[in-house]
Amino acid sequence: METVFMRSPDGEVKEVEATAEALTPRMASGWHQVPAPPVAQKPVVVAEEEK
Amino acid sequence: MANISELLNGWGFGKQTAIGTANLVATIWRHTNLNTKPWAKVPVNEDDRAEIGKGHEFPTQLFKSHYNMPAYELSKYASSEFLAWALSFSMGNVVVSGSGPYVYTIVPALGATNPTGLELPYFSFVQQIRPGGSAVLDEMLVGCAVKGWKLSIKNSPGRASAMCAVECVTTGQYTSPSGITLPAISTPHEFNAGMISALTFNGINYLSGGSAKQFVSMEASWENNFRPGFFPGSGAQDGYQIQGRFEWGDRAFAVQFVVRVQAGSTEYANLINLTTGTATFTMTRDANNSFTMLIQKMGFNVAELGNTDGIVTLQITGVQLYDPTNGMVTMTVTTPLQGICQ
Repeated sequence: METVFMRSPDGEVKEVEATAEALTPRMASGWHQVPAPPVAQKPVVVAEEEK
Repeated sequence: MANISELLNGWGFGKQTAIGTANLVATIWRHTNLNTKPWAKVPVNEDDRAEIGKGHEFPTQLFKSHYNMPAYELSKYASSEFLAWALSFSMGNVVVSGSGPYVYTIVPALGATNPTGLELPYFSFVQQIRPGGSAVLDEMLVGCAVKGWKLSIKNSPGRASAMCAVECVTTGQYTSPSGITLPAISTPHEFNAGMISALTFNGINYLSGGSAKQFVSMEASWENNFRPGFFPGSGAQDGYQIQGRFEWGDRAFAVQFVVRVQAGSTEYANLINLTTGTATFTMTRDANNSFTMLIQKMGFNVAELGNTDGIVTLQITGVQLYDPTNGMVTMTVTTPLQGICQ
């Protein structure tokens, strides 16, 4: 399922299904496309070197 | 001397970052144009004939006034690329998805939530004749906007059955020489009327069933009614004032179509009963190139009986109503080109 990120007039960013049916009501009420937010990365765990 | 057929046109398929910042060459495409005129630059001078104190009524001096740039028409056969461009730049709220082909979903921007207020995206326009050391014409107009468009569908063979004409305006700012080496000419994926795959207006399906073969032609148009863009600080070019913004006024979306009349035609009934419904118009060339215009709520304002080439027809003028949930119209274009209006 193709998705895009949209920002509401209130600033809420939401991942939305990229279909005309899903996009139209949002776009008609002022939502705009925004770039995908950076993917949250897991903290890097450094393995202890074997002594 | 040069023949007009030597005129090369290129313009930004991507948007400028600001009204006065030209497109980079990477976001400019080159296309043919059925409009055979170049975009004229019209600097306007004024004089002092109205001023008294000279001892006579005659003008004695010229003054630079402003660039009064005429609107310019890009007239092309409707293609997925050109429709995506025209609709995106004229309506402003664009969502692009996919990774090739790309799907552009486009609706009219709202002034209250549009990041650029009442202004639409801007693009640069390049026109050249024999670019290089001895160019006859080589300039780039900066800060162009789409004022409106007309999509015409008619009963005829070939590409002329689906035409799109786009009216553009520009600020007066330009660079000459352009400094742009235009890319190879684009090969757009064009439509024709035979590719119409959905054609239902206000509950009447003109593609299949009882009303099939009724449809004759359609014209849909959009007009942004830009306000003049001269204001304190709007800028200057060659000492002439230029426009610094194009803000939409009362936008207008018009749809007219002609259908053959037959026994049981329901257009009159829809008009008299104030019936409204969606209108869907789709052209599908292949999986990578399609266009859908979905009007959310259409009624009929006028149904005028007439004749077209000897056939009894009705000319219907639609009224496109704003739906509180879905707005007025959603345009969806699938095209292979990435980055349109981005």
